[in-house]
Amino acid sequence: MTEKITIALAGNPNVGKTSIFNSITGSKQHVGNWPGVTVERKIGKKVHNDVMMEIVDLPGTYSLTAYSLDEIIARDFIIEEKPDVVVQVIDATNLERNMYLTTQLMELGVRLVIALNMTDLALAKGDNINEKKMQEFLEVPVISTIGSKGTGIEGLLDAVTEELHKTRVTENVFNYDNQIEERAEKLGVVLDSDPYFAHYPSRWFSLKLLEGDENIIKKAKESGSYPEIQKILNETDAEILEAKVADQRYKTIQTMLRQVCNINTCRLTGSDMVDRVVTNKVLGIPIFLSLMWAAFEITFTFATPFMNMIDIFFGWMAETATTVIPVPWMASLVGEGMIAGVGSVIIFLPNILLLFFMISLMEDSGYMARAAFIMDKIMSKVGLHGKSFIPLVMGFGCNVPAIMATRTIEDTRDRLITILITPFMSCGARLPVYVLLAGAFFGRDAGVVIFSLYALGILVAVVSAKLMRSTILKGEDTPFIMELPSYKIPTLRGSLIHMWERGKIYLKKAGTIILIGVVGVWLLASIPAPGSSGTFASEEIYGTTESMIGMIGQALEPLVTPLGFDWKIAVALVFGVVAKEIVVGSMGVLYGVGDNEENLSNILAAGAMTPLAALGLMVFTLLYVPCFACIGVIKRETGSWKWTLFQLAYGTTLAWVFAFVIYQVGTRMGLLA
Amino acid sequence: MKRSYGSKEMAFAALAGVLYAFFGLLHIVEGLGIDTGMAGLLFIPGDILGGFCLVVIGAVFLNGLREMLQGINAGVSFVYVGILMSLIFAAVYLLIMGGNLLDSLIVPDDYEGWNVMETFRPGIYLGLISLFGIFHWKDKFSLNEVLVFREGA
Repeated sequence: MTEKITIALAGNPNVGKTSIFNSITGSKQHVGNWPGVTVERKIGKKVHNDVMMEIVDLPGTYSLTAYSLDEIIARDFIIEEKPDVVVQVIDATNLERNMYLTTQLMELGVRLVIALNMTDLALAKGDNINEKKMQEFLEVPVISTIGSKGTGIEGLLDAVTEELHKTRVTENVFNYDNQIEERAEKLGVVLDSDPYFAHYPSRWFSLKLLEGDENIIKKAKESGSYPEIQKILNETDAEILEAKVADQRYKTIQTMLRQVCNINTCRLTGSDMVDRVVTNKVLGIPIFLSLMWAAFEITFTFATPFMNMIDIFFGWMAETATTVIPVPWMASLVGEGMIAGVGSVIIFLPNILLLFFMISLMEDSGYMARAAFIMDKIMSKVGLHGKSFIPLVMGFGCNVPAIMATRTIEDTRDRLITILITPFMSCGARLPVYVLLAGAFFGRDAGVVIFSLYALGILVAVVSAKLMRSTILKGEDTPFIMELPSYKIPTLRGSLIHMWERGKIYLKKAGTIILIGVVGVWLLASIPAPGSSGTFASEEIYGTTESMIGMIGQALEPLVTPLGFDWKIAVALVFGVVAKEIVVGSMGVLYGVGDNEENLSNILAAGAMTPLAALGLMVFTLLYVPCFACIGVIKRETGSWKWTLFQLAYGTTLAWVFAFVIYQVGTRMGLLA
Repeated sequence: MKRSYGSKEMAFAALAGVLYAFFGLLHIVEGLGIDTGMAGLLFIPGDILGGFCLVVIGAVFLNGLREMLQGINAGVSFVYVGILMSLIFAAVYLLIMGGNLLDSLIVPDDYEGWNVMETFRPGIYLGLISLFGIFHWKDKFSLNEVLVFREGA
């Protein structure tokens, strides 16, 4: 019978953990969230040596203290869920820092296997690591791997199964100075005598108490023996002890490293060479802008034939459904509502996939971290932190994970500002609106218009951040400290997996919330308004002012008339709050063209709106209320309805003012006439 | 192993730098609506942003040249990155060309009278210079390459 085990994959950020995870699990992955929080949780499966392995990818952490949510999640999983084996992925080019986490895992007494990753880079750098000696010193298996190439994965899994069947987990204890050892011993006695602590390794728990770990102290407070524990803790200064413990761990690591490897520090590696250029104070930003432009060109231009293929396919489907289904209203629902509505969203799948592929290439190569570094100077000038840059760039893909990614920002104010401005980064869902309108009204300049919209989003975000920093969220600037991982050549497989994960979410959205949304639009467009004499889904009702949707639209029309929009646009924008993609789908239904982008473009360009109104609509879509999912995540991450409502009101006001200025001033000046 | 970066690298950086900067400026000038008279002959579009990118690549090469002329061996890093960037941009332009070609087969009506060479860009033929560079120095230019420098840097 196949044995079932759980393996936790731990490690510092950017050590190639994801490559190892992908190499082990391939496509057998499930992406969800950790319970109660929105940190991504990846689980994969693999059968090896007749053992069914469930591999849990823990968030990247530098230690197991309680400084960040990621660290608490990783630590709690190891302590509470008790995985059978913990595999720590270590960056072989940066052993000292990575092994700090090793010391903590060893103190937890877990069955540990070390994947010494990126050994090819270490070798090229001139580092000579003796894995056998390291294994002897640590008394845990050390397996050399190159995650990006899948090298060493079989050996790693063999080591895991061997470790699993060992009768004894290696007891590794680091010796600290007398003061710490005495206190740890005293605490150990108290903890061992209280059944409340039976779940925790007592030495590790004692050390955490001495280090003043808030999360651990909170747990201890719930026990009956806390007064006794407090008495011991009061004898010392936690800050001093924490520093001493860290110092001792590093000393142990350094002692080991001297014996097991020869680190080369006086050479300039390929990574250093690239860094000399891309982080250059003059050329760094222009290089970044050039690469972003290349990514956008690919996303928008290369996707066109694939979009046309999808367009033709859905057009055929809608036509077939309309012809085959005998009941007219049902044919209209399936053909013009469901297929056309969903088709109008799926048509942008190539753009979404390519955009995520590009973002993945930048992330996987290590360039994204450099981008944050070079942008820090500019970011700090507008009151933001360099680390804010990565969530903001991620926002180009989807604002929801981008807002979740703000968790890496330690300072509360910096984080809050980043959350509030991230919705201004133009996500992939807004793209369909731009592609449709820019294509219809700006022809060959469509690319420039779309690029300008992205630039406007950045500008609004930056100015808003500055404004918030100098008014409602004043505070000191925090220094930029971020690890720049070694460059790696991204693997096609890794980037494709990353791209597909995001594409899948988009497809799922198209098949669920967007389908419901477009059916809702179709229903409202088909139901006669009170007092109307037409029948359900008839030609004289569908999408006209005689329908329910027409009635709603007309009620809203006065609000958008100054922007040059008609009632149909007002309705499309309201439905766009469900998901931005619905704006185009709704317009297709309301203008009676289904998913035929070309017909919709023609109708719009033929006089349904002016180029200025189209430009205003694109800007409005960029800045107004984000989608439901995004609103939900803003609420969850800020923990406040006040800040959530502030973002919605602020964004919508800005959107209205911008669209108003574009339309009114542009019209008076005779622009784009 | 010690390496010295000499006249070949400098000549390459100078040639590539000047060409990229020059062609980039031509893109920008054409993009501003000024006829340079070279658009047809050299396949130069009116493209301000694309031109900016070529100027940046040119600047990367020229900065490498400047450093190497000052005796800073690590200046070769700029040549290395310049080559990478020019190859990336050549690939981007080739993909765009390929995309247009594919699209012309899918929706031929939209492409009546269109010729694939309309999307041919200087970024493609300039990339050939870098391709020559990468083949010539393929052993030296690798992400794992270790540069042992003699002085400066």
